[in-house]
Amino acid sequence: MNPTHEIASPSYTLNCRMNQEAAALERLCQVVRVRGFRIARMAMESSEECLEIALTLEGSRPVSMLQSQLEKLHTVIGVEVVSGAASRSRTA
Amino acid sequence: MNGSQHILEAFHRHNISTVFGYPGGCIMPLYDALVDDVDVEHVLCRHEQACALAADGYARASGRLGVCIATSGPGATNLITGVANAYLDSIPLLVITGQVPSALIGTDAFQETDILGMTLGIVKHSYLVEDAGDLPRVLEEAIGLAQSGRPGPVWIDIPKDILLSPITTAAPERPQAENRQQQCPDIREAWAMLKAAKRPLLYSGGGVSLAQAEANFRAFAEASGLPGVVTLKGIGNAGRHNPNDMGMLGMHGSRAANKAVDECDLLFVVGARLDDRATGKLDGFAPNARLIHIDTDAAEINKLRAADIAVRGDLNAILSAFTTAAEQTPLSIGDWQKQCQTWHTTGGFRAAGNEAPLTPITGPAFIRQLSGITPDNTIIACDVGQHQMWVAQYYQFAHPRHHLSSGGLGTMGFGMPAAIGAQFANRNSTVINVTGDGSFMMNAQELATIRRYNLPLKLIILDNQCLGMVRQQQELFYNNRESQINLDDNPDFVAMARAFDIPALHIERTDQIRRGIETILAYNGPMLLHVAISREENVWPIVKAGSSNREMIDEPRKTSNRKEQVA
Repeated sequence: MNPTHEIASPSYTLNCRMNQEAAALERLCQVVRVRGFRIARMAMESSEECLEIALTLEGSRPVSMLQSQLEKLHTVIGVEVVSGAASRSRTA
Repeated sequence: MNGSQHILEAFHRHNISTVFGYPGGCIMPLYDALVDDVDVEHVLCRHEQACALAADGYARASGRLGVCIATSGPGATNLITGVANAYLDSIPLLVITGQVPSALIGTDAFQETDILGMTLGIVKHSYLVEDAGDLPRVLEEAIGLAQSGRPGPVWIDIPKDILLSPITTAAPERPQAENRQQQCPDIREAWAMLKAAKRPLLYSGGGVSLAQAEANFRAFAEASGLPGVVTLKGIGNAGRHNPNDMGMLGMHGSRAANKAVDECDLLFVVGARLDDRATGKLDGFAPNARLIHIDTDAAEINKLRAADIAVRGDLNAILSAFTTAAEQTPLSIGDWQKQCQTWHTTGGFRAAGNEAPLTPITGPAFIRQLSGITPDNTIIACDVGQHQMWVAQYYQFAHPRHHLSSGGLGTMGFGMPAAIGAQFANRNSTVINVTGDGSFMMNAQELATIRRYNLPLKLIILDNQCLGMVRQQQELFYNNRESQINLDDNPDFVAMARAFDIPALHIERTDQIRRGIETILAYNGPMLLHVAISREENVWPIVKAGSSNREMIDEPRKTSNRKEQVA
């Protein structure tokens, strides 16, 4: 762990709901990593149909970009930025 | 009906008539079912990577779904480069692989790889079928998903036992076909911003043809009269003869196109993702411009450059609305149009060359003549390197689906299999693979596929006996320290083609270009043209990676002249 990185990077909390499917969690984690964020904390509960995942992330890129990428995943039902959200620009 | 037969039935339901594949252990049940199927043509390539790239070329050239098939383990891993290629360029692909039997998954069985895990980052979505009852749903979902919204590859990994299992569940009902005339988002604010701009510039990319919005794009370009630039994948959007089209921008774009981006006060971006090869250093990109971003994919909005206004949705509906607005209240940009046309005349890629007949052939001279000789509906599949940029700069494309180029991944070896796929999709079109000597060798085994199916496609190798693009960058940015770029021990390409029973011709002088091109075009079957070009030839202009497009480097002997013309 790099302490400088930890201090410098903003922290965000996201709640994510996904369908139960093979590699669902790996897919989520892969997108988080590739898009420039580090998972500081992760909690997951599974029901028969869904996975409920709470993520605490650190990263210097806009979290709205990560949210857009996660929402593109076919298995993702919804992503909510609970804290640390940056405002999005206008979209017609 | 077993799982394999069900897959073929899904192909029939979705009018999938051509697939590219290579058999092996765990996919054998599907190949067994193919024996009895007369409606699906299976094209046997000679390497799985070529299967994926051929399916990609098929999809690019036709707008339809490309399908490739391979076995588990090395068959599946060999597909990866081709699938990544499709992912980076948003090409609709259905990938089907066999997997070891369910009971053996996780036991390090023969030819077992966790292909689902290995490919998560290069697919739009993927499935491992764990229950035979899921197969009908998965197939329907995958075929729809690959083609909807922003297209992309969808991979289905199917254990061998499921390919053999009886399928008792019915395929789910197909969802209604996507209505291309979707409700248009409100464009009033964006139109007001465009109308107020003094120097607006149309910036379009591959999203236009992916959305099959070429006609609406051209209608808007004509109604608005906006000067335009295109990305590598947007080449052909405006057609061959639009006076306001300044061609490609970016690292190897024209000085005119980059100048216009630098000077514009509004960028009207349609179906483009502001890729680094196009924008150069972002801080210096279109520094005086506000930005209207039109795209299907929400994740592209604000990804690299914040949009002042984003209009997200179906490009056909959006462009149609802007066309109506432009027809009702035309833009007043006459002076800006003239300025851009002047830049294009003096700083665009020249339409005609004046090379002396007995001089060695240069890439630009060859491509200019190729463009002039070939018919409008010719499909050019490029590989990656200098020849790819010369095609982008000097070939005049009538349609974006005529230009098959590996834009995102930059896959050497793409061209020949992509041309094979394009020829299967367009049996009566002239299809040409323009390649370099490095790229040609990456998938040279596909000469056997061309011969097997007697495809009439033409192969043109611009042979400079080296990895020219790398050599060029070593010359310019690494103090001319050449490292591992020498290919002067290439095989005799003419003899090599003949070994595959493909006739071939060699040329090396400018006065031989026309006859060489006409000879291969006239030949009724596959033919290869080997074109010897100078090792020292560079692609101009060039922007160093990470630099601003304003810092483009011109051909040294032209620099002083250019400065006077495009100031």
